[in-house]
Formats: sequence, structure tokens, C-alpha cells
Amino acid sequence: MMVPLLKHPEMNFGAITFFARQHKEDMCGSNGLPLTPNSIIIYGRAQKLKTIKSPYLCQYLDIIRGKHERTIVVCQYCGVPLSNYLEKKKFTLDGIKRIAYQILHGLKLLHERNIVHRNLSCENILLQGENIKMFNYGLYYLTDNAKLVSFPVVQLLYAAPEIYLDGIHNSLPNPAVDVWAVGIILIELILDKSLWSSLKVGQRIRKILSLLQSNSSVFERIAREHNAYEEYLNVPEDLKEMIESVLNIDPTKRPTCEELLRNKIFSQFQTEQDSGDKELKNFEIFTIHELYHWWQLAGGDVLQELKKQGLIRSSPPILSLPHLVLIEGNILGQERNPATLYDPRVVQMPLDTLYQRFENIPLSSFYPLIRIKSDIISQFEPQPYDATGLPLIIKERDPEYQFHRIILFRRLLHGYPFTKDLIRKEAEKDIPPLLRGEIWAALLDIKCDYKSRYMKLDKYSITPTDRQIEVDIPRCHQYNELLSSTEGHKKLKRILKAWVFQNSKYVYWQGLDSLTAPFLYLNFNDEAKAFACLSAFIPKFLYKFFLKDNSPVIEEYLAKFSQLIAFHDPTLANHLYEINFYPQLFAIPWFLTLFSHVFPLYKILHLWDKVLLANSSFSLHIGLSVLTQLRDRLLSSGFNECILLFSDLPEVDIEKSVVLSTETFKATPTSITAREHDNDEYRTKDEYDITGVTLSDLKRERYPRVSARDVIDMIRTNPRKILVIDIRNMVQFNRCCIINSINIPFSSVSFTENKIENVGSNSAILEHSKDKVVVVVGDEETDLELVFN
Amino acid sequence: MLAAVLTSFRQSVIFVCYHFRLLCIKLVLHRKTIYEKAFLCGRKAIGTLVIRDLTRKITSKLFLVNKIMATNRTGAAQRPNGATQGKICQFKLVLLGESAVGKSSLVLRFVKGQFHEYQESTIGAAFLTQTICLDDTTVKFEIWDTAGQERYHSLAPMYYRGAQAAIVVYDITNQDTFGRAKTWVKELQRQASPTIVIALAGNKQDLANKRMVEYEEAQTYADENGLLFMETSAKTAMNVNDIFLAIAKKLPKNEQTSGQGGSAQGRRLAEGDAGAKAPGNCCK
Ligand SMILES: Nc1nc2c(ncn2[C@@H]2O[C@H](COP(=O)(O)OP(=O)(O)O)[C@@H](O)[C@H]2O)c(=O)[nH]1
Ligand SMILES: [Mg+2]
Repeated sequence: MMVPLLKHPEMNFGAITFFARQHKEDMCGSNGLPLTPNSIIIYGRAQKLKTIKSPYLCQYLDIIRGKHERTIVVCQYCGVPLSNYLEKKKFTLDGIKRIAYQILHGLKLLHERNIVHRNLSCENILLQGENIKMFNYGLYYLTDNAKLVSFPVVQLLYAAPEIYLDGIHNSLPNPAVDVWAVGIILIELILDKSLWSSLKVGQRIRKILSLLQSNSSVFERIAREHNAYEEYLNVPEDLKEMIESVLNIDPTKRPTCEELLRNKIFSQFQTEQDSGDKELKNFEIFTIHELYHWWQLAGGDVLQELKKQGLIRSSPPILSLPHLVLIEGNILGQERNPATLYDPRVVQMPLDTLYQRFENIPLSSFYPLIRIKSDIISQFEPQPYDATGLPLIIKERDPEYQFHRIILFRRLLHGYPFTKDLIRKEAEKDIPPLLRGEIWAALLDIKCDYKSRYMKLDKYSITPTDRQIEVDIPRCHQYNELLSSTEGHKKLKRILKAWVFQNSKYVYWQGLDSLTAPFLYLNFNDEAKAFACLSAFIPKFLYKFFLKDNSPVIEEYLAKFSQLIAFHDPTLANHLYEINFYPQLFAIPWFLTLFSHVFPLYKILHLWDKVLLANSSFSLHIGLSVLTQLRDRLLSSGFNECILLFSDLPEVDIEKSVVLSTETFKATPTSITAREHDNDEYRTKDEYDITGVTLSDLKRERYPRVSARDVIDMIRTNPRKILVIDIRNMVQFNRCCIINSINIPFSSVSFTENKIENVGSNSAILEHSKDKVVVVVGDEETDLELVFN
Repeated sequence: MLAAVLTSFRQSVIFVCYHFRLLCIKLVLHRKTIYEKAFLCGRKAIGTLVIRDLTRKITSKLFLVNKIMATNRTGAAQRPNGATQGKICQFKLVLLGESAVGKSSLVLRFVKGQFHEYQESTIGAAFLTQTICLDDTTVKFEIWDTAGQERYHSLAPMYYRGAQAAIVVYDITNQDTFGRAKTWVKELQRQASPTIVIALAGNKQDLANKRMVEYEEAQTYADENGLLFMETSAKTAMNVNDIFLAIAKKLPKNEQTSGQGGSAQGRRLAEGDAGAKAPGNCCK
């Protein structure tokens, strides 16, 4: 049984490929840095296209960068090009009007977003049933008006005369050229002819330019040239008039798409359209983006398909070596053949493997129940897909598992904020990478007004922080295509400036850039959301870390870190203490940026998946997990080796870290990592909390204090794991004490004693309790004595 | 043979892999990119290849010496009979300067012979070591590379305390960074050990066409304050080894023993007294 939902005719996609213009070897920008490769600029620009959604536009799905600036664009592709119908099937006038209306509607949407198609032709308008979808409408935009490629972005026949007059390479984007192209398309459809199809390129251009001189109607002239004057005469007057206005030689006199849509010849569609708009906003069980994602997980490979179809041909690398390279870096020979720069072919991606893979998924799985009350209903709940126990990496690559997770999370996210608790619960299992951005936003409690809030913030005024931000951005996670793109730089800068503007209490510390990077990466097309996430993240996990004078906050955090090491790994703690290897020397970037300055993005994402579910102490546990992984090397090294190890941090197994830190996080009494400087909003207080420890005391204490409540909890839940040593004098101890505690009066042991055998009658118990948590209890008196010693 | 090829290639830049396939692989052991290209040459194809960095490698002899020293140290230098033992000195050196002037890049060039265009910014500080050879003395630099942002200033004393040498870096294409360098020099003169050797480095010399700080201006300032001065480029490696070498020459290398290795360093850094009391007396 195959689920029909997946086989929806619109759920198909294809790819095109071209080469971005290659920079000359060793070229540098004004800042001395190498120029951003054009394919990366394109990559950044293309992200915006992915957000465009309209029934008349194919959806952009992905951009892939190949070797040597090759760029591959993956996009929805469904239906048959209009050009295939020409001279085969004549459209009715109503049919043509409908097509015109739909094209104009799609164009209007593009023009509203400052995107000019410029590539419109009957070939990239796809017809399916009654409806059209335009394809490849973003080429001109994503190549920055064709500046980033060495081939012209133009459809010879459909190009308005001014394109030729201005020169193909240096014209500004003008939406009027698209309007002209619509005119030519309408004429082709009405006359049912490909215009000037027998002419050579040069002659065609001449034909179009000759239209400039015509005094009579352009439409009429074209009709006459194609022996179709009869048909021309039969066209109703209002339509003729419209086409005439569209094919005005003067671009400024052409009507805009919006004006055209209001033309009364379209009156029959105008109401239809409105209802169509509403439909768009309805909940979709899954989108083509997700289908593409699953397809990839199921083994789909765009590059491979293009190779199979011969669009990408690999020649032996030796053939692409230049003939001559001068010492300054100039390369001679082996320029690419200009004809291969752009390939007009579209390769449709076969979905069979995906269909096979998903063959056994029942229809009910598309409609998971999220809150079940009655037994009768819960019968219909789809079988859970069993993936428990699989490593995270495998789960993330398993198409079926990701299918179920995405379907479920989509549903939950649709109900946000009312499904907050469920989202959190599911996120504890794992987070599907495709929806991570949205899920994180939900976990961070982002409110729906985030866009308008962001809009109000000043992101442009010059401030003293600008220089620092500017020099940091080109150094921030630049291996990542999004973050190294020009768009990425602009966005990051705006977000950082907005943050500094909004948080007058705080300042920009180097590292804030890295901290922002994951949010921008996940919400590249929703800058405001990236900002909202950052703004919600900091108070929760890095409260006061960005104060101008943050040293008390950081010092406290580092002191807690030392104590946490001591609590879980006394041997290591002692070693580090002996070689004077303090966290101050290596851990500041760890905690200030919550490891975002330390690890590459893909690792940060997995770490933060857990951080978001925990609290501000989780970072300490990650730190501990890193030390644990390097434990053997640390224990056998002196100061220099240790510090070198951290200056050039060796590969850390992030999954291990996640597991270790989650374990220690759960196994650590909360009072051990509780901090004075933590945000009160996010912690529950109780009367047994430890308070009033000064920073200098805290830094002096090598072992953590634990609150009475935590001790009681430990005794209750795991009495075998704990050893309580009472250091009050014997009289007090005999009067009352904690059950199973042992008494080693404070005065009975000298401070310098470092052999366990010498602490008296209880030394044997101590000796045998090395794997237990040892809690020392005393009263005010012993506390005082401690101070005096 | 190798040397001959190298010298001849200094002039002629074309290298035909077909003939020199094996040789090529040998040459490029420390340059991964060229290594890969050479490897692709296959059996019969004839291509061209340039060893652009080669000339650079030859001029930076110091670098090669370092590497050899580094590999020898563990073996030869520690032989109990002391056959190869010269003097070994350790010095703590700190890099200071406005952010993005190229401090980390200078260290990376000096220690690993590499340059990363997208060098990540430094938060807190980074620590690296490098050993160079100076006549019969082996000088080991323990280098603290600091964060440049003004805000991290409060951390800086932790690093320059007890340092025997400092390189204050500015960017020759940015006047403000020169101003900031002067402030650092002043601070060092007031707060650091009085015998500290300070070098001023005008970095990004490769961008001389965008120069905003004149060479003479910086030279005059350096002379007035008794600083070593060089214009450097982490990108082209110009003067990078030289500035460290010049510092090593200027540092006192008298025969006194200090505490053993690592822990002594740590303590000095943390408490900041040992270095100040006995500057430069760390030879052992
Ligand atoms: N052109 C050029 N760029 C350099 C040079 N040294 C560093 N850079 C660049 O300057 C930027 C900042 O360098 P970095 O070492 O991080 O500076 P730091 O903040 O002082 O450590 C990086 O993008 C480097 O690529 C140099 O000598 N020449
Ligand atoms: Mg740096």
C-alpha cells in the first residue's frame, strides 16, 4: 500500500546547474582577506528564495556547491512546460487569460520582494491541469543581477528591447522587463506559435530591436510577420488593449503586475484567487521541503543524478591544471568553455527509492494523535517506530524515523504555544535536524510578536562597538557557507547591533558573535527569530555574563567548575590543583560562549539540544565531560602540556560528551552548582539553600558545599552511596546525629594530617568508602574553628 | 639533487610533474595542497604545477631548524652523557595589541608555519610553545597570545606578569591600533617586570599599499622607548621568525637554574612573583 499523500503531483522536484564566476587566484579584498567565492555569495542570497511560497511559483529547496564554483539549484518541478504545448494544443481564450492571471500573480509576489525574474519564457512556465507554476525565476536575483556569473541571464526572445539597449550585463533590475515578457508569452499562446523559431540568434535580436521603430501596434506587427493576422483580428478588444499596453516600448509606461491584475478582463479569477490565498495558510501535514529531506535521507543524491544525466562530467583533474602559473599567482590556460557555464536542462529527481522506503507507512501515521483521552481513539494511534537505543547519528539519518519525528513535531509546533509541554517532552528524546530552529524557538518560549519587536530596534546607527563587531564577524565560524556569505555577515552584524542596542545593561564581549552563530544558522531566513532566540537564551543560560564587569560572575562560575571537578573526579582535581592548572587559563571561552567558540557548529547543535532542556549549570557539566575525555592525558601531563592541549583542543567526541554531561547533570546535587549570580527567575529557592558564601571563600574551598536538603535527598534515595562524617565533638554527636554517620571530632585530627590511617578508629571505614560521596557535617562551632585554622 | 632543484625553481616556476613525480611528493611533505595535486598526476598525464611556497620555505631556514630541533629534543638533548647538550633557556613571552591586528596569526606562523585567513578570534588567551636555536643555546618560548578587545584588559596582567618578553602588535593599515599599541607599551613599562624585553610589530606589511602608519613614525617611537621594532606579515611570513629571533638575542641567558618545568611556570603565572623577582633567570 502506497500512501497517496507522498505521490501528490506537486511533490516533485528537479535541479539545474551553472558555474559562478571564478575569482582570479589570490585576489584580496580591501581588508586583505581573500574575496568571498561567488558561489558562497549565491548560496547566501538563495536562502531568501526558499521562503517564497505561492501556488504559482515552484518552491526553492536547496543550493548545493560543487567543485570549482559549480552551483546546483534544487527546486520544485511539476507539470509540463508551456512551450511543449505550442503548435500542438491551442488554448482557449479563457485558458490563456487564466494563465496570464496566474503568471502576473506570481510575478507580483516576486516584485513585492524586489526580485525580478528576467528569465521568463514559455519553457519555464509549467502547466499542470489548469494551473501554472513558474520555474527558475530566481536565477537573476541569486546571481545578484547576473553579476556573479559569466553568462548572461536572459531569454533572447522574451527580453524587452531595453535589455539589449542597456547592455546585457549592466542593467539594473527593473520589473518592467517581466511585464514585457508576459506580453510575448501571451502572443505566443494566442497565435499558438513559437515566435521567430526559424531565425538565428542575431536575427531574432534584430527583430526585437526593430520593434522599437514600429509606429503601429507591436502585437499586430508580430501577428503579420507570422502570417496570423486573422487570429489577431479575432482577439477581443480588451485583451488586445492589455497586450498592447504591456508591450509598450517605453518601460516606464508599462503597467505593473498589480495594475494588470486589477484589469477587468480578469474579473472571473479575482474572487477565486482570494480563497486560494487562505488555503495556503492552512496546516500542511508535511511540505515539499520535508519530502526533499526524506528523499535525501533515503539515499537521494542530486549530484549523482546530475552526473547520471550527463550534466556534470568529471574529467581527469590533470586536464584542468593550468598550463602556466606565474609566481604572482596568475593562471594561464584552461579557461572554462563559456558554453558549459550554464546548462539550460532540468533534471527531474526520481522518487522511487523514497516511495519504496516508505511503502509500509500506514496512512494513520500521517495523523499522529497527540493528546489521547479515550481508549477507542487511542486504538487508532499509529505504531511507534522503534528506534530506541540507536545512536543519535543513526537516528538522524534514518528516513522512517525522521518521517515520524517530523510529522509529529510539525503537528506540535502548529499548536505552539499550547503544546509547549509536549514539545519539551519530545525534545528530550531527540530533535529532528530539519525542524531544529523552530523547536529551539519553542523551547526558548519565543512569543509570536518577535518580528515587530525586532523591527523596532536600531540596527544601523554608528556605535563604538562597531569596529569590534566588524573585525569579529569575518572570523566567526567561516567554514560554514551560510555564515561566510555576504548575506550572513550582514545579518550577523544587524543582530549583534540590535542586541547591544536593546541590552544597555550589557556590552558586546568578543564571543557574542559565536554565541549568535547557531541561532542565525538555524534561522537564516528569519533574522528576527534568531535575535529572539539569542535574547531569550542569554538571560536563561548566561545571565550577567555580558556585564561590563563580569569578573565576579565568571569567577564564581569557574570556582564552581573547579568544585564540580573535585566532586566527580577528585584525582583529576588534585592533579590539576598541584600543577596550578586553573580553569581561568582555559575555560573562559568555554563558558562565556557556552562552547560555541570552541566547537564547530554541528557539534554545538547537539550540545545545545540538551542545554536548552537543562539549566545554566549544564555548561559546567559539558566542561567536565571534556576533561573526562582527556583525563588520561591530563593526568600524565604537567602544566605546559595541559595548557597546550587546550590551546589546540583535540577532537572531542560530542556524543560522548552529551551522554557524560547528562549523566553528571542528573547525578549532581543542585546545591553544588547553585550560584549567587544565577537568574532568580529560573531557580526555585528553599530555606536550606546555601547563601552568603563570599567569592573569595568560594575560590578557596576546593570541595563544594552541599545543602542540607540535598544530603537528606541523597540519604533517602541512595543511602549506600553516601558517607556522612560528623566533625562535632563527641558529646554533641552522642546527643543526636544523622543515622549511619560516623564521628571524627574536628579537634582529634591535625590539619596537616594527610594519611587516612591516622584519623583514628574510623579510618578503616574511610578507606573503604572511596567510591562514596563523603559529606562532612558540622555546626557553627566547627565552622568557626575551620576559619581560625 | 633536492637543493639543486629547489634553487632552479626559485627562478623558473613551472614544474612538470610527469618527470618529477616522485620528487614532487618528497618536496611537498609539509604542504598538503601541493602534495595532493602531485598525487593526482597519475601515470601518463602531463600537467603543470607550481611550487609557489617553496621559495618561502627555503628562506625561512629558521623554521626548518625549529622543526628539526623539536624532533631532536626529546631524543638527543636528554641523553644523560650530555653529548649534545647546549644551554636550554625558557622564556615567557606575551602578545598584546588591539584585536584583529594579527597576534594569533603571528604566533601561528611562528609556531606552525601556517596562516589562516579566517583565524578565529581569541577569547581569554591561548598558550603555545616554540623552540628556536641560537648559536649554542636552545631558546624555548612559552607564548601567551591574549584577547585583543579592550574588555579583556582586566585579564591581561595575569599573562604579562612575570613575562620576560612582550610583542606589542599593531596593524599598519589602521592608525588607531598604533595608538593602542602605545598604551600597551606604557602599561608594560609601568606594570611589568622592569627588565622585560618589548618588541613592537607593525603587522600586515603585505598590505603596505593601504598603509596608515608610517614606518619612520613607528621606528622613531620604538627608538625613543627602547623597543625592538619590525614590520611583519603573518601572511607572507616576513620578519616573523626574525622578530622572535631578535628577542631571543636580546634576552639575558645567564646560567642559573630555576624550578622544574611545568609546575614552576604555572605558579609563576598564577602568583606572578617568581618572574618579577628573577627575570630571565630561567635557564637550566
Ligand atoms: N593581509 C594580512 N592579514 C593578516 C595578517 N595577519 C593577520 N591577518 C588577518 O587579520 C585578521 C585578524 O588576525 P588575528 O590573528 O585573529 O588577530 P588577533 O585578534 O590580533 O589575534 C585575520 O583575518 C587574519 O587573516 C597579515 O600579516 N596580513
Ligand atoms: Mg587572536
